[in-house]
Amino acid sequence: MELLECVNINKSFGNKNVLKDVNLTISRGRIIGLLGKNGTGKTTLIKLINDLLTPTTGKVLVNGEEVGIESKKIISYLPERTYLDKSMTVDKVIEFFEDFYANFDPKKARQLFKDLDLDTTQKLSKMSKGMQEKVQLVLVMSRKADLYILDEPLGGVDPATRDYILDTILTNFNEGASVIISTHLISDIERILDEVIFIDKGKILLQSDSDELRRKENSSIDEIFRRMFKC
Amino acid sequence: MKFEFDNNIPIYIQLVEQLKIYIISGKINSGERLPSVRELALQTKVNPNTMQKALVELEELKLVFTERTNGKFVTNDRKIIEKYREEYAYELSKKYFASMEGIGFNISEIIEYLKDLGGDK
Amino acid sequence: MLKKLLKYDLQNIYKALIIFYSLSLFFGILTRIFLNIENSFIMNIIGQVCSGITISMIFNILINNLMRLWVRFKNNFYGDESYLTHTLPIDKKTLYLSKILTSIITLFSSVLVIGITLFIAYYSKENIEVIKNLLLPLATIYESTVITIVLAFIFVCFLEIMNMLQSGYVGIVLGHKKNNNKMVFSVLSGFGIYLLTQIFTVLVVFVVALFNKDLMNLFYTMDSLSVSTIKLCIYLAIVIYTLNIFILYFVNSKLFSKGVNVD
Repeated sequence: MELLECVNINKSFGNKNVLKDVNLTISRGRIIGLLGKNGTGKTTLIKLINDLLTPTTGKVLVNGEEVGIESKKIISYLPERTYLDKSMTVDKVIEFFEDFYANFDPKKARQLFKDLDLDTTQKLSKMSKGMQEKVQLVLVMSRKADLYILDEPLGGVDPATRDYILDTILTNFNEGASVIISTHLISDIERILDEVIFIDKGKILLQSDSDELRRKENSSIDEIFRRMFKC
Repeated sequence: MKFEFDNNIPIYIQLVEQLKIYIISGKINSGERLPSVRELALQTKVNPNTMQKALVELEELKLVFTERTNGKFVTNDRKIIEKYREEYAYELSKKYFASMEGIGFNISEIIEYLKDLGGDK
Repeated sequence: MLKKLLKYDLQNIYKALIIFYSLSLFFGILTRIFLNIENSFIMNIIGQVCSGITISMIFNILINNLMRLWVRFKNNFYGDESYLTHTLPIDKKTLYLSKILTSIITLFSSVLVIGITLFIAYYSKENIEVIKNLLLPLATIYESTVITIVLAFIFVCFLEIMNMLQSGYVGIVLGHKKNNNKMVFSVLSGFGIYLLTQIFTVLVVFVVALFNKDLMNLFYTMDSLSVSTIKLCIYLAIVIYTLNIFILYFVNSKLFSKGVNVD
């Protein structure tokens, strides 16, 4: 049974087709880059996997079952926006995650917040946007999940923060789990990817082992991507 | 351990290369136990799967061996390490000579030049 | 899971309401103190001002309660927070049930606080007598007691507010099935649904009237109705409103559990 399968997915809003015949299989124990320019359907695909959108046709299977309570137990998802109730303190949010996710490790989260020198009695609304995003990353990576889905975790951050984010992902993801990272900033991230998926105009154009691709094309993933999409 | 990577070349090949240099230069001693795959991956900031692949390759080269319960070790066989060291030195020298010849030095001139350079040091 | 959801839903609503509750009680007490100081014109003026504030606080509680419930519903299910809400390992029906229970509990406590405030601010033997004398003729006509009438009135109001609130929820769910102008459609369909429930109410009364001549007079004449007919009307209102609430609950719960499409 594959960890994640997308079968013939189409998604349209009105008469606009955002995803076209997407077929995709993700196995266990891989770090996968979902690579595409902005507005090509990356986020739509991710939202479908997380039950935030319903497919127009086709289905998403997680461990062979359609998305639902069981899939949400094992998927840890970081959206590209801040999604916590900002009137809560960090302590309260930790409690919230502990209440609802059986696989959440509060000790790990607290340790990571300590490493960040973060005062957990502080309300989220009192923090900078960058800090709020770090809080979310810590919470998401503190779950012992089977699949981590990170939507644009590196969008608009400075190099130091970028290193922190990549380190946090690499250090904390559950052994044997898979990680899907969507991004349009490929060069920053490509060396940690096992596998890459290119998506453009709602279609999957390529899915390949990343070292395999480098050897075949004799260049970096970033360059291959640029050549393919001329950007 | 801090590695620099060139994104144009498969990462695991670069890992094999750099780990090899660590071993033949004696930065990691023969017989020494290597950190776990996950640990190594963290130190070098690469994907654990890629590190695993590189270590398998090093095992095929006989530079590393696995003890079933204890983890991975650098080979005890100094001869093998010496062999790879010489191989590496040969490759480097070949490249150097080729470059020097490219700018018009002949073999004896190169050797003269190196002697002078050694004297300066 | 329902318990945990309720905990966070209630906390969120009460965090704001508690301020209005305390203000309302505070001004209730002030009103009582200042209005009871005799022979002082200034104190009396202050008392009147406090009394005005108390009354406005009471409306504030009701309006705030309703608005907060709607806003929380929208933010939690369709705003940024929805990214967390809908990825929790919880059935959508349970998510909805928690919102409804939160509505009932908070509205009930608001009504209670309003009652207590009124009691603190204005309770006196004379005032009670005034109310009693006002309602007593009504009570005697309807062969009932004053307290029953007051309670029945409050209960019908409560049901009506719940009906309104839930119409709003249905509106939000329907509005967010559209691709554009979600807010406009939410408000419009909310009003639409509310109108529908009112039409449904009249319709049911009419159907019952087909079998009850006295009740039919309600539709044809301006004559005053007999006591038993008015009683029937009140019972019908309670039954139909309750029915409305349950029907809307099941329809919305079903609509909602079919899946969401959040921006």
